[in-house]
Amino acid sequence: MLIVVDPHSGVPVFRQVMDQVKFQIASGVVQPGDELPTTRVLSSLLGVNPMTISKAYGFLEKEGVVDRRPGLPLVVRRFRQKELEVSRLEHLRGSLGPVITVIQQLDIDEREAVSLLRSMLREKGK
Amino acid sequence: MPFVFELNRVTKRFGTATALADVSLSIPEQHVVGLIGLNGSGKTTLLHHLVGLLLPTEGSCTTLGMEAASLGPEQLRRIGIVYQENRFLDWMTVQQHLSYVGSFYRLWDNDRQRRLLDLLELDLSARVGTLSPGDVQKLGLILAVCHHPELLLLDEPVSALDPIARHRLLEFFLDLLQEDHCTIVISSHILRDIEQVVDWIVCLDAGRIAVDTGLDDLQERFSEWIVTSSNGGLPSQFDEGFVCEQHGSSAQAHLLVRDATGHLDTFRRKHGAEVSTSPLNLERIFPLLLKGGQ
Repeated sequence: MLIVVDPHSGVPVFRQVMDQVKFQIASGVVQPGDELPTTRVLSSLLGVNPMTISKAYGFLEKEGVVDRRPGLPLVVRRFRQKELEVSRLEHLRGSLGPVITVIQQLDIDEREAVSLLRSMLREKGK
Repeated sequence: MPFVFELNRVTKRFGTATALADVSLSIPEQHVVGLIGLNGSGKTTLLHHLVGLLLPTEGSCTTLGMEAASLGPEQLRRIGIVYQENRFLDWMTVQQHLSYVGSFYRLWDNDRQRRLLDLLELDLSARVGTLSPGDVQKLGLILAVCHHPELLLLDEPVSALDPIARHRLLEFFLDLLQEDHCTIVISSHILRDIEQVVDWIVCLDAGRIAVDTGLDDLQERFSEWIVTSSNGGLPSQFDEGFVCEQHGSSAQAHLLVRDATGHLDTFRRKHGAEVSTSPLNLERIFPLLLKGGQ
């Protein structure tokens, strides 16, 4: 599992870690049953305070994303297809938020914006 | 969780000058605290109270469960401290100085000493008096951690170090946490450095505590808003209480806001404006902390 954080972005590091774990689960890069790196390993890898990683892991466990097993690394829980679908759309919604603001700030017509998105998607698909 | 140290309504006066004013602060074990504030805000005075180098004019200070004024060898052995201005024996070599200080401790860790000498590239045979300011700081740091302190107090520990040495040192502090489970207090002006390792922020403003909170919490409370109005109807001055700083025109404004997330929708509707929000890092939050505390 690849996790990269920017401690100077202003976004709390625990949140960056949580978002990335959830994104990788939603995108299928990380599969149910996969182990998360231990707090110790991840904190020295990222060069951040171990408390920060424990906090992220604590929340992920509370949200039911991972399961804790005594004395072993956390594992990614098995999700229903429906849950993954919801989570994928949630991620997309989060990323589109700032785009919507730009569309409104530039006063771009809705149809024009959607058609640009569509054509960019097609280009990428080629 | 027990507190490593606790200041209870500490006031410290030097003649007519008040260095600390009614400071209360309790830090639980295993936190890494960033002690920030302008020059002369009381950071060093506070750190000196923790080890009994200064005594409060009023109030009390407890460190490792004991009144700081009566800390004895047993407690002091569990503390490591790096002073802003180190006083060393200039005529000794680095090697001699390390052995000299090490001889006072039962559990001096020679492996750790070697590891740090390598990491920080300090020359053992150099005379202490001829060391550069950066190398003096390195020596001070090595002397402060080889007895596995439970509480490590660092007063501007990295100011004279080059970026590579600073980076290595910050990583070493993280190792210290893993190995010794110690509590660390770092006072520093280099906010980018401490942002990476601390989980708690204490900000002093003219001897008072302006902020005493988790770094995560602080990061989530402050943000930057770019406000755009399609009809050019923004007020010349926003009077919302959560706005800390603002500038802009009737069409666009740049705001720095505190505790404002819940007000975003109301704000948008009221001003007929679009708002894009982005987070602020510690360097940008810091000036806002001095403008009215929490």
